[in-house]
Amino acid sequence: MELLKAIYPWGPLLFGLGFLAPVIAALMTNLGVQAPLGLTEIQTGLIVGGTWGLVAKFGGRWI
Amino acid sequence: MSVAEAQSPAEVDKDQERRLYREEMAIAKKYIGPFPVVMALWCFSNLLCWLALWPLVIFDVIPLWAGFLIATANVALCYLPSHEAQHSNYANPGTPLRWLNELIGYVSTIPLVLPFKIARYTHMLHHKHTNDPKLDPDYEVIAPTWQQAMLKTVRRMQPGFPNSYGVVLSENADDPAAKRAGLEGMVQSLAYWGILCTLAWSGYALEAAFLWWVPRMLGTIYISLFLSWWPHHPMDEMGRYRNTRSFTHKLGNIVAFGMEDHIIHHLHPGMPLNRNKAAFRELRPILEARGCRLEDHHG
Repeated sequence: MELLKAIYPWGPLLFGLGFLAPVIAALMTNLGVQAPLGLTEIQTGLIVGGTWGLVAKFGGRWI
Repeated sequence: MSVAEAQSPAEVDKDQERRLYREEMAIAKKYIGPFPVVMALWCFSNLLCWLALWPLVIFDVIPLWAGFLIATANVALCYLPSHEAQHSNYANPGTPLRWLNELIGYVSTIPLVLPFKIARYTHMLHHKHTNDPKLDPDYEVIAPTWQQAMLKTVRRMQPGFPNSYGVVLSENADDPAAKRAGLEGMVQSLAYWGILCTLAWSGYALEAAFLWWVPRMLGTIYISLFLSWWPHHPMDEMGRYRNTRSFTHKLGNIVAFGMEDHIIHHLHPGMPLNRNKAAFRELRPILEARGCRLEDHHG
């Protein structure tokens, strides 16, 4: 329970990395979008998803 | 409910009050009794449809966009059968079919990821304190227009916005029912996020996103609009006969999920949704005499 309480505030970041990252990668693959800077789709997904998650965590909003 | 609790907002004398009360109860009793077969079938057919979408989409039997549209409808439709279970309308505690009542309550809202015990706990408070700014867990939906109500639901989904149901549970932390509800809610939420992430990292990211994650958000907005905002708007009156309105939606009662007659539900929560319209028609003269909010307009 204590572990969950410690993790809970970081939910948006975990969600960004755990779910948004593969979703972004899959969307890029399906839409034929090239990953920039020689990155792979999943690397791009992790960067975008992780950054978005951090913004949501500290800004309190996804959109 | 007693006669004393059934005070009309309209000016009626005590004899008339008693007569209205007796007539209202006599009519309501006719619609409350039988097992709500329609609502039970609704639960299981809707859930099976949503579950079937997964193999159908994964094995390319239907396209993802079609699965997405159906899943969104499934999520929006999944709340109401559980709502009947919250009120024990399938079976009361201690009766043989109680297990079915609880089963429907738990499984119906799987697509919506709304834990049954949390839904029941907060919904009972909503009935007890309808439109009370401090005590009604659904009061957060208040907004001047339906468009703003939808935007507000989106705002309420943001991580920085306090979860009103979570607040209610923490305020009642000493209540074992609230504690149990919170625990079940946590387990269900963790399972949901775990399943979504597992699917996403197993090559089914788009299926997870468009059969569950996005439909759940859209369904939540729809449910919040039609089940909370529309029947109680503008949420400025309390009391049995004024806290909920009847209305006529320009897209019809099916689109409004039967909420045109939600006033009947607040007066008689034991009456299943699919009997509310007929009951409303019969009760209408009584509701008019009592000064209820019968707003037959396209608002």
